[in-house]
Amino acid sequence: MTPAATRPPTELSTLLRGEVMTMSGWSAAWNTRRFFTHVAIIVFGAGFYGAAMGWWRAPQQALFVGIKFPLIILMTTFGNALINGMLAPLLGLNIPFRQSFSAVVMSFAVTSAILGAFAPLTAFMVWCAPPMSGQVTDFNYAGFKLVHVAIIMFAGVTGNTRLLQLLVHLADDRAAAVRVLVAWLGGNLFLGSQLSWILRPFIGSPQLPVEFLRENALHGNFYEDVLHSLMQIF
Amino acid sequence: MNENNPVPPVIPPRDAAQQLADSLAAAPPLPGAVRKLGDDPSERVPITNAFAAIEALLRHPRRLLFQLRQPGAGGLIGQMFFVALLCAAVYGVVAGTFSGGMQLWAAPVKIACGLFISAAICLPSLYIFTCLSGAQTRLAEVCGLLAGLLMLMTILLVGFAPVAWIFSQSTESIAWMGFLHLSFWFVATIFGARFMKHGFTHAEAKSQAGVNVWLCIFLLVALQMTTALRPIIGKADTFFPTEKKFFIGHWLETLDNATKPARENRPD
Repeated sequence: MTPAATRPPTELSTLLRGEVMTMSGWSAAWNTRRFFTHVAIIVFGAGFYGAAMGWWRAPQQALFVGIKFPLIILMTTFGNALINGMLAPLLGLNIPFRQSFSAVVMSFAVTSAILGAFAPLTAFMVWCAPPMSGQVTDFNYAGFKLVHVAIIMFAGVTGNTRLLQLLVHLADDRAAAVRVLVAWLGGNLFLGSQLSWILRPFIGSPQLPVEFLRENALHGNFYEDVLHSLMQIF
Repeated sequence: MNENNPVPPVIPPRDAAQQLADSLAAAPPLPGAVRKLGDDPSERVPITNAFAAIEALLRHPRRLLFQLRQPGAGGLIGQMFFVALLCAAVYGVVAGTFSGGMQLWAAPVKIACGLFISAAICLPSLYIFTCLSGAQTRLAEVCGLLAGLLMLMTILLVGFAPVAWIFSQSTESIAWMGFLHLSFWFVATIFGARFMKHGFTHAEAKSQAGVNVWLCIFLLVALQMTTALRPIIGKADTFFPTEKKFFIGHWLETLDNATKPARENRPD
C-alpha cells in the first residue's frame, strides 16, 4: 500500500507551498500545458471571487465582475510582460524573458487560488447581508469594502511572498531579487490600478445601474481622479 | 589472543549498519520530537467501521490520523461524515425539545445542515491554509481532518445532550439556552480543533498560524450560520428568518428580550 505522502503533489499545492526548486524548474523550461493550467487557475479563482463580490449588487453584476476580475490580472500580466522581462536583467536578475513571464504568472496563480478559496466565504457573507438596493447602510457598504480589501491584500501579499522566494532562489542574491520584485510590483500596480479604473464597477452602487462598464470608462484615469480628490481636500 | 581474553568477533560492515539502524529505531524519541505516524504497529490496524473510528478518535487518534493518510481512505472519511451528521441531528432533537412542536424536526435539520454547509464553505480556505503552511497533504487528507473535527465535535455534543435536555425542560429563558448550547459547542470545537492541529503537526506543517486563522474563520461562519438559520431553539412562523442580521446584532436583541417570559417571546 503506497503511503499517501509519497504520491506526487498537485501543481496547485506545489505553488501554494512555495516549493522554489520545483517552481524554478518550471519557470526555466516552458511547458504550454502548465502555462494554460496556471491561466485556468487565474481565470477560475479570480472569476469565482469576482462573482461573489458582484453578487451583492445583482446576479448580473456577479457575471460581469466574474469576467472582469481575471481579465484585470491577465491584462496586467501580458501588458507588463515586456517591461518586466527587460527590468529583471537590468536590476541584477539575469533570467530570460520567458522565465520572468512564468514567474509572474505563477505568483498571480497563487493569488487567484487564494481568492477562489475565499469565494464561498464572500458569497456566504453576501447571502447573510441585507440586499444592497433595499436596506443598505453606510456601515454595511463600508464593512464589505473593508472585508474585500483585507482578503485581496492577504492574497496579494502571499502571492508576492512566493514570488520573492522564487526570485531569491533564481538570483542567489536577495538584494537583486528585492529590486526586481519592487520594480515589477510598481509596474503591475501602476497598470493594474488604471485597468481597475477602466473596468469599474466591481461591488457596484444601488444608485447606479448594473453595467459591464461605466459610460465614462475611457474618460479620465485613476491618477487624475486621485489628484482631483487631493486638490479638493487641500 | 588467548582463551582468557578472546578477541571479540569482527562484525561485518553490513550487519553493523543494520544494528545501528535497529538501535536508532528502538531508541526513545528526543524530547519535543514528533513520533512518526505508523511507528506503533497498533496504528497500522485498519479501521473497518464507524464504531472503530469513534473509538480510535477518542482513545487512539494517531491510529485514525495514520489511516486517513492511506490510499482508499475515502470510505473511512465518508463514515466519519455520516457519524457527524447523525450526532448533529441527535443533538438538534435535544435542542428542539426546548420549544417542541415544529422545532423537534426543524432544529436537527438546521443544526446538521448548517454545520455541514459551514464546513463546506470553509473547506477551500482550509486547503489553501494547509498548503501555505507547507504541509504535505492532499485534498483528501484535508477532508479527513475536517471530518475528524466535525465527528469529535458532534460526538462531544451528544455527550452533553443529557445536560442540555435537563436544562431545556427546567428553564424558560431562550437567552440562557442559547448561551448554554453555544458553550457546549465551543468546548466541543476546542477538542475537535486539537485533533485537527495534531493532524497538521504530522503533516509537516511549518507553522500552525494558518490553521489557527482558519479555525477563527470557521467559528465565525458557524456562528453566523446559526443566525442565518434561526430560530433553532425559539419559535417562528416561518422555517427561515424573514430578516437578515449579523449574529452579534441578533444576540443583543435576544438579550434585550430576555426579561420577557421565554415561551411567550415574539417570533423572530
